[in-house]
This record gives sequence, C-alpha cells and structure tokens, in this order.
Amino acid sequence: MVTSTNPATGVDVQGGSLWSRAPYPVLIADLQGAIILVNEAAGALLPRARPGTPMTDAVPDWLSSAHAALRLPRQGAAAEPAVWSGRVGDRVFEAHPTVEDSGTVLWWLVDTTDHRLAEEALRRERERTAFLGRASNLLLSSLNLDRCTNVTAQMAAEHLADAALVIAPMRGNRLPIVTCLGDGNPVASSAIADPASVPGLVEALQGFPPVPTRWVDPRTVPDWVVPEGFGAPGSIVVTPLPGHGVPAGALILLRRADGPGFTPEEEVFARLFAARAGAAMSAARLYADQSAITDVLMRELLPPSLHQVSGVDFAGGYRPSEDHERIGGDFYDVHPAGTEGAPSLVVLGDVCGKGLEAAVLTGKIRNTLHALLPLADDHQRMLALLNMALLNSHHTRFATLVLASAVREGGSVRMRVTSAGHPPPLVVRATGEVEEADTRGTLIGAIPEVRADSADLFLAPGETCVLYTDGFTEARGGPMGDAMFGEERLRRVLAECAGMPAEGIVERIQMVAAQWVGTGRHDDMAVVVVSAPRSHHLSAVNGHTRGRFTA
Amino acid sequence: MSTFPSSHLRLTAVDTETVVRIELLGDLDYDNADLLLDAATAKLAARPRLRELHLGCAGLGSIDSTGLSVLLMIRRRTDAANVLLRLEDRPPALDRLLTITGSLDHLTALPTGAARETSGPGESRADTEEAIPARPTGPDSSA
Repeated sequence: MVTSTNPATGVDVQGGSLWSRAPYPVLIADLQGAIILVNEAAGALLPRARPGTPMTDAVPDWLSSAHAALRLPRQGAAAEPAVWSGRVGDRVFEAHPTVEDSGTVLWWLVDTTDHRLAEEALRRERERTAFLGRASNLLLSSLNLDRCTNVTAQMAAEHLADAALVIAPMRGNRLPIVTCLGDGNPVASSAIADPASVPGLVEALQGFPPVPTRWVDPRTVPDWVVPEGFGAPGSIVVTPLPGHGVPAGALILLRRADGPGFTPEEEVFARLFAARAGAAMSAARLYADQSAITDVLMRELLPPSLHQVSGVDFAGGYRPSEDHERIGGDFYDVHPAGTEGAPSLVVLGDVCGKGLEAAVLTGKIRNTLHALLPLADDHQRMLALLNMALLNSHHTRFATLVLASAVREGGSVRMRVTSAGHPPPLVVRATGEVEEADTRGTLIGAIPEVRADSADLFLAPGETCVLYTDGFTEARGGPMGDAMFGEERLRRVLAECAGMPAEGIVERIQMVAAQWVGTGRHDDMAVVVVSAPRSHHLSAVNGHTRGRFTA
Repeated sequence: MSTFPSSHLRLTAVDTETVVRIELLGDLDYDNADLLLDAATAKLAARPRLRELHLGCAGLGSIDSTGLSVLLMIRRRTDAANVLLRLEDRPPALDRLLTITGSLDHLTALPTGAARETSGPGESRADTEEAIPARPTGPDSSA
C-alpha cells in the first residue's frame, strides 16, 4: 500500500485505505500532473506509478494526455464527463475521471478487454454469417456448374484469403482449376499436374471419407498452385469441397508471406464456406450430368423423319409432352424392307410412365425390335420374343404398341397390322369412311403370356392407315378445357382427310389436336400415317421396284 | 394416360381374417398409383392367411398406364402369395383400358397357383362370401 498526505489538496489520503483494497485500479493525480495516490490494483497494473511521480512517466500516453486535456480547459464542474480508453500492456482499459474543484482528478480504470473481445467476436461472427448467407444465395441461385465454381473462387479470394483456387476432380490427366486473385475475376484453366504433389489434395479430391483442412508448407507446393503475379505465399490451406456423396473438388486458399496467416478460427470458417460451396457445386454437377443424359437420350429417341419407302408413303409426327420430365413414352420407327418386294415394318408404341425410366424402356424396345427384324413377317413371334426380353421381376412397366407391315402391290398397299394392347389403327377409305382395324393383343413387358390377333388390310390408292397413341384421344381441352378429344372426334377429323397425302394428314391431326389442348398440358402425341399414294405409273410393269412411282 | 392434375387417391380398407377389401376413391395415375401398390403390398405382407384381395373400383376416377402397371404388379404379388385378386365394380373406363391393353383376362383370372390347396378356389370363394355377405358381386366374379 502506497499512501501519502498531500497538504496542498487536502485530500484525505488516509481515508484512501478504503481505495487501497478496491478491486479496480484507482489513480489520483493533481493539477500539475503528479500522482498523489495509487491503490493496490493500480500499482499492480502500473508498476511505475508511485505518489509523486509525474503521470507522463508512470502511465501510458493516452492516459497522461487525457489527464492533461481534462485539466487544461478548466471549464469547471459543468464540463461533460468523458471516458477515455486505451491499452495498458496487452489489455484495454477505460478511464473514467472524477474531477474535484481543486483540479485533482481521480481516475477509475475499468478493464474492458473481454468486453471488447466479445464485441469484436460478435461483429466478426455477424460478418461471417452474412457472408455465408450471401454465399448460399449466390451459389444456390444457379445450377450452372461453371458459375458455381467461379462464385466459389471469387468469394473465397475476397473474404478468406489473398487468392483462391478451386480444383475440380481430375478429367483424364488434367486438373481443371479456377483461380481468383483478391478482388480480381476468376480465371479457368487446367493443369497437367499430379494432385499428389500438393499434400492433402488427393484426399480432398476423393471427397470421401471427409478429411480435415490441411495446412501446407508453402515451400513444398508446386508452381501451378501459386497464381501468376501472386508473389511468395506465406500460408496455404487445402480444404475439401464436400459434395452429395460425389467429390465436388477442393479449395486451396493462399495468403501472402507479408500478411497474417490463417488462424484456426478462420480455418473452421473456411470449412463452413467450403461445405456450402461443395453442396452447391455437386448439385450443379449432378444436374449437369442429368441434363446431359437427358439430352443424349432425347437425341437417341427422337423419331426419324419419314418419307416414301418402296412405293409406300410414310409420314410421322411427334409432339412431346411439355411436362418438365421431358422424355415421354411415345415412339415410332419405320424399318424399310431389307429386300425388294418385302414389307417395311412400322412400329408405334407408348411406354408406361414418364421420364428417364420410360426413356430407358423405349430404347430397349426399339433396339430389341431392330434385332428381331428378320422375323418381321411373324408379328406374333416378334411380340412374344420382345415380351420375353422385357419381362422383369422388379417391375411391371409395360408398353403397348402396334406393328404394321406394309408392302406395295400394284397400285395398292397390302398391310398386316397387329396391336399389342394398343388402340387399333384406323383406316381412312377413299370414300371418307373410317374403319378400325380388327386387331387386339396383350400389352408387352408385364405378363408372361401374350397373345395378339393381326388384321390384314388393303389400301387402295389414296387410302390411309393411321397409327396413333392415346395422347391424341385422351388430350383434354376443347371449349370448356376439360373434355377428352376422344376417338369419335379423331374419326371425324380423319374422315375429312380422305384422299389427302400422308404428310397432310399428319399435319391436320396435329393441328386439330393442338387447337384442342390450347395452352393446356398434354401427354406425348405420336402418329404415323401409312398411305398408298395416288400414283402415276411411270412404267407399266409390276411396280415393286423403288422409284417407279411418283406421289 | 393423362397428365392432368389428378384428384387425390383415397384408399379405405376393410379387413377380415382372410379377405381385405380396399376401396379406391380418386385417380389411379402416375402421381399416386404407388399409394395403392404400397397399401396392397402391406396387406399381403401383414396377413399370411389372406385369401382374397378385393379392389373396389366404383370410386375410381381416371387411370393411366402407371395405374395399370400397379394393378399388374399387385396381380403379380397376389399370385405369389396365392391370394385371389378381384377388381370389383369396375367403371366402363377401366374395363375399356383393360380390354384395349389385353390385360382384362390376366387381371381377372384365377391365381396361377389356383391349385394351391386341395379344396380348390371354389371353396375359398364360398368362405369369402360368408365373411362379407353384403359385398356386391363384381362383374369378374365368374372369372
């Protein structure tokens, strides 16, 4: 305890024995800036502060100048009480003055270090939360993989490090890299590089099991990790970008040698960011994969453009459903006869369900039928074999289809049509009569035993056989918007099409159906028209040879 | 095989020891046909002594290819379990679909394993009629 009596001020320093044990540092100094009293706590904090010592020698500058500032204006007791703050050693204090009329000042020192730290932590935490929120918004607003990657690199470079690299999983022997420097723009490149040359990168790129962030010695990294013009890196961390079970890549953060390194707290934060970025990137990658598959399948499933084959007119139309699951279940094919005089085979079908599963089944059916073409003159056998090929213990997804063999005979076309669980084809006679082909059969792919009865038809010149899917007859629309198009309406439309060329009939049906559904939703609609052309004989002979007729 | 917003499918089941009847109300289509498959599969699994599964179709709205596929799957499972499947009170639209697709006979035939018991299917049906005397007889009852 250090006490003394100052006769000049008359402060009862002995009464200060109460101060002496106060838990907060207390310091009294006079008008001249000389210390009068230092309590125990203040003595411990400021070892050089002793009674009689000038403030300027004993306390930090900010406190001694506060003392001087307080004395100088001498505005009297009305002066606004102020609070100063500054560092003492490694801690932060607030100094609250109590001024006596004599000019003696009693300084109360309050340690606010923890409070400050808490405030600072709160501010940082708020910033980070805001940053993560912003990152999520930016990342999830797009399912475009390139954009996600760029946003990841850019945000990481702006907020987490001086430069950031997003490394995508290997493609062949190339590592796709997006680099972003500070406030710059992300740049995509690729390096022929071995990920094993960067410690932790191989594990991070594998995506699973999750690996912690790796601190990497900057001296050991290969040149390609350090962006051009970056200078010497001071610290580097490698963080995995965890995806949805698929590796999304890795994030490499670099800080310059002259700046601060990564604190463990920052590293945790980088991992939080990487988790969000990885999720967004892998979602984008899955979506990209899926839409690539869909595109490939779509291309494969698009119906062929049809034309005249061996003197028989074929025309087809396909209007896919506008549903978001883009691939529908309708399909058709025309297989021209292998030899002159043999029938061509038309297949039109409708696969149960929608989307990818329907597309896969459609592909299977088309391929199987293609392989069975040598048996095309025996529809029953073809269907039985197709049924066996499709039967599956896991599901009862089925297809309904119509097989139609057509061959030119003289000026007419002889046909055999077989329905396998499908609406029978309609025949449009030259008179405008519309007949239903007399064929019935079992759907394909779900029942072990299938049977089918074929119908033999004869089309005179100008007559037509129409194969269609129920997308037409079940299309809802009309004046009230919810009526089925129905078979009757289809027959009426076809009756008006008597004598029209095949192409024209397809266009007409499609147009009427499109008007019927208007902007409403509809299923796939597929139609194939087989016509005996109203032809002129170019040569008077048998007419089986290609090119002897003109439509 | 429409893609229009479908009314919800509601299923009501009435169980006895050997007969389960599931009443269908609504559309059996791409969006909700699975409900029926799950319900029927659960009944088959939960009742080893089940002899007949009746699907009451009077309240059936529209049915699409996925709905038919589910009926075929239920048929496959009832066959495997030696349970008689009956589609009762079939509306004309359902009959039409089953006829065009050639699946009517298959769906309404006796189980392929009909010779499962020495007593034969005739007797088992007689049991059922005792169990649910008020049951309306579906058009397939002669199958």
